Amino acid sequence: MKQFLKTFKVAFQAIYKNRTRSLLTALGIIIGVAAVIMTISAGQGATQEVQSQISGLGTNLLMISTKTEHRGGMDVRMGRPIDEKDLLMLQKNSVWMPKLSPLVANGVRAIGPQGNKSTTIYGVSSDYFDILNREIVSGDGFTEEDVKTARKVCVIGETIKKELFSSADPVGRQIRIDKVPFTIVGILKEEGKGTMGQDQDDMLIAPYTTIQNRLYGRRRGYNMIMASALSEDHIQDAEIEATELLRETHRILEGEEDDFEIMTQVELQEITGNVTGILTLILGAIASISLIVGGIGIMNIMLVSVTERTREIGTRLAIGARESDILTQFLIEAIVLSLAGGILGIMLGILGNQIIYKTTNFYIPTAMDSILIGFGFSVLVGIVFGYFPARKAARLNPIDALRYE
Amino acid sequence: MPLKKVIETRKLNRVFKNGDIEVHALTEIDLVIEEGEFVAIMGSSGSGKSTLLHILGCLDKPSSGEYYLDGVHVNKLNKNQLADIRNQKIGFIFQSYNLLSRTTALENVELPLVYDRTGRFTNSKELAKKALEQVGLEDRIYHKTNELSGGQQQRVAIARALINDPALILSDEATGNLDSRTSIDIADLFVRLNNEGKTILMITHEPEIAQFAKRMIYLRDGRVLTDELIKNRSTKESALKALELIT
Ligand SMILES: Nc1ncnc2c1ncn2[C@@H]1O[C@H](COP(=O)(O)OP(=O)(O)OP(=O)(O)O)[C@@H](O)[C@H]1O
Ligand SMILES: [Mg+2]
Repeated sequence: MKQFLKTFKVAFQAIYKNRTRSLLTALGIIIGVAAVIMTISAGQGATQEVQSQISGLGTNLLMISTKTEHRGGMDVRMGRPIDEKDLLMLQKNSVWMPKLSPLVANGVRAIGPQGNKSTTIYGVSSDYFDILNREIVSGDGFTEEDVKTARKVCVIGETIKKELFSSADPVGRQIRIDKVPFTIVGILKEEGKGTMGQDQDDMLIAPYTTIQNRLYGRRRGYNMIMASALSEDHIQDAEIEATELLRETHRILEGEEDDFEIMTQVELQEITGNVTGILTLILGAIASISLIVGGIGIMNIMLVSVTERTREIGTRLAIGARESDILTQFLIEAIVLSLAGGILGIMLGILGNQIIYKTTNFYIPTAMDSILIGFGFSVLVGIVFGYFPARKAARLNPIDALRYE
Repeated sequence: MPLKKVIETRKLNRVFKNGDIEVHALTEIDLVIEEGEFVAIMGSSGSGKSTLLHILGCLDKPSSGEYYLDGVHVNKLNKNQLADIRNQKIGFIFQSYNLLSRTTALENVELPLVYDRTGRFTNSKELAKKALEQVGLEDRIYHKTNELSGGQQQRVAIARALINDPALILSDEATGNLDSRTSIDIADLFVRLNNEGKTILMITHEPEIAQFAKRMIYLRDGRVLTDELIKNRSTKESALKALELIT
């Protein structure tokens, strides 16, 4: 142990005496570890962001839509559309889904006093706001009554408000949607950018009856029916219930496949979790390659260093160093270099995350496990790539080493 | 009481094999060196001087024959034990100094104690300073290798060879890279160390340096040609006077 400490000191002095070269040697590891930390953190950050947005989507959300299949790059509807009949049936019979809303979406052009803008209008029932957790900050929104009578009222997002109505509160004022005048009855609370970067405040929300009756005529089917389960524990029950009820209504025989799809919030989280997880893995693997390259750099320079210091090694052997002393010395040098590189890399990675946060506002929490991975990896790299040069040094014949020019 | 034998060899042979060619670098060397001796080894290039020194210094093993160093039967030792023997009983001095670059004289002299496993030296700094005083470098303790002249560097190397209080000091052409005047200084230093009781074995090409020793062994083709005591040994004064006559 005492011998180890002495050798440790020798290794440290050797590193210190070759500061510049040591730093350059460690540079590969520094960059590699920083890359690993930043990619893993970014991946995990993105995953968390997506997950939190999905849970922000609504409480215990279920989405019921017509079955689609990929055919030649297009989504083709396979079953009969989900329509008013399904909605009424669910409203009447469902035990586990107290809130239900259809969703019909359409691209429209909205015109206000300040200008016009193409946007999307969503036709929904008054339950929609509860299902998706969207708050109305000004105005009262629309009621069941408005839906029944198909009144031309709408709730607008913050982006529409800003672009079409200067700063004044537009509640109670008129907005023309594809030439039809609507009265504004509410403003949505600002949500900001969505998971895929879309603007969640660039939208209009109106009773689905109004859109179907006054804007486009009665079309068959909805894009989907949204529902929220009674509680988180009953999402499964709700899904089973909806499946049974819809199979009955759609007259699907036993053994036949569903002609609709039900996606729950949990499933949505799982899917996106998988995708971002794979992404993180791939990015991490790519970053790890740079660590390995850094390790090869260490090996390379250590080999050069062994050759350069052949005489020194010969001298040490002549004055009584054991082979194991030389092996330990060079191994410690390699490990200390890569470990120092690892620590500097961790700091650089955290700094990088901060810079990304400052410049793009995309907050990346530095993942604790990425720090551990970076740390562990750099020690491993030091041992693996340091061993070969160290062994080469230890096995030198002292007589040849002393004569080496 | 007979003097202690520091070195005793019996029929020492060293054969180098290079493919089919065998080089008999040393043949049947019987050698006894007692405590307090100062031996010069001479011989033409390739006569086996360095090979002998390497074996005596436990850096190399004989092909056959026995070697006892300070009472230890060296043939039977393994690599680690040989390393420890070198560390405890031998001080090496080389032609090209072999000091660590960018390192102070003090740290260089301390180096053998890094590998001391006996724990018999407690204050390595003090010992290193004392060794540097012995070679007359007390005012260069914190100078780095590259800030010292060749003669001074060789003195640092000698101090390094002294620090572990070895039974035997081995020098392979210590003055080979130095001018005549500095060579005489180094030879004189050897004489002083020998007077203090050190056993010294030095290889040299220069007869005037060999003349400082007490005994001279002449090698030819790996055999001892002559082995005799030196009658009128040089001193620093006589050597410098002789040097002035030439120039
Ligand atoms: N590693 C080796 N492999 C093969 N032959 C060797 C080896 N080392 C030494 N020899 C040979 O052994 C012989 C003695 O060499 P050695 O180095 O002992 O001579 P030397 O007396 O020290 O010569 P010099 O005065 O030039 O240093 C030489 O013929 C040399 O070629
Ligand atoms: Mg030689």
